[in-house]
Amino acid sequence: MDRIIETNSSEMFIEEREKSQGTIPKRINTDSENVEKGLAKLVLTLIELLRKLMERQAMRRIEADSLSDGEIERIGDTFMKLENKMAELKEIFGLSDEDLNLNLGPLGDLM
Amino acid sequence: MKIYTYGIIDAHDRIRDEAILGLEGARIYTIYYLDIGIVVSELEQQTRYIEDNILEHERVVEKLMEYFTVLPMRFLTVFDRKEDIIQMLKDYYRDFKKNLKRLRNKVEFGVKVIWPGDKVREEIASAYTKQYELPIANNSAGAKFIQEKFKEYKIDKKYEEEANRQIEVIDKFFCEFASEKKLEKHLNKSLLLNAYYLIDKEKQSTFKEGFERLKGAASGFNYLFSGPWPPYNFIILNKKSYSLKA
Repeated sequence: MDRIIETNSSEMFIEEREKSQGTIPKRINTDSENVEKGLAKLVLTLIELLRKLMERQAMRRIEADSLSDGEIERIGDTFMKLENKMAELKEIFGLSDEDLNLNLGPLGDLM
Repeated sequence: MKIYTYGIIDAHDRIRDEAILGLEGARIYTIYYLDIGIVVSELEQQTRYIEDNILEHERVVEKLMEYFTVLPMRFLTVFDRKEDIIQMLKDYYRDFKKNLKRLRNKVEFGVKVIWPGDKVREEIASAYTKQYELPIANNSAGAKFIQEKFKEYKIDKKYEEEANRQIEVIDKFFCEFASEKKLEKHLNKSLLLNAYYLIDKEKQSTFKEGFERLKGAASGFNYLFSGPWPPYNFIILNKKSYSLKA
């Protein structure tokens, strides 16, 4: 059978492909400012990931009715403060939400 | 001079009628170990990652695929000496044999689907009603925060359910004909599915019919259907150091 490549929108798939390829840097920046920012980005990405995992875990427990009203409010308070702190840190290092969301190629977006 | 590799084949598969040329126009030949072989050609110069060469590599693999079962090597897998190649064939012999048996007469087809994820999410969000609100009496900032987070969580959950439901519908069209599949699900908000199906060569046209039926049923979705390809995504290796996927 001859090769078939069929689509109803080649532009959309070209765009998708370019999006995933754009996240792999072609060169590594090694000057000191970029190394610092790169390190901050890595650390904050990991913190963000953990924070989101904890939030999700809390949501599951709320859904399963395993937390009291008081506990729910306290969690809300803690997470709110965490989120605000993260926003501060992102601003200090000049990082956006997109900067901290890694595209893992075949595994999709990190968050 | 180095040895450039294209793919693993059964030793009894030989190309008789034509000389196939590989990179640098060099004639390909097979190096054997027991009852398997690896198709190679000799490389004079250092080959870098240039688009032309990857097309050459692909062309050779596909030509071989016309004749027999091939486990394609990753582009630019080059060895210094024949002895190194033989050692590799020895190390991976069992893996290669198992894969050749499993993938004999089978080809790969790819299906990608883009869906209006943003729109779907919006619809779910607008259908979210007060029944999902948490029964917290307090109106503190923390309480409001958690309400908002919970709402987002419920919407995300519904969104994921809907995405999985759609994927199941699409997958069902193809599963009838596929002996194996590999699904990459909702990789981002627009790419709903990236699927690979392993099909018997004889079932290719019925597989394509499945695709035609899907086209008719799925409006508002964008799809990319391609194949047949060598079975890049279905090679299973137990030894991790070499990857055969292109």
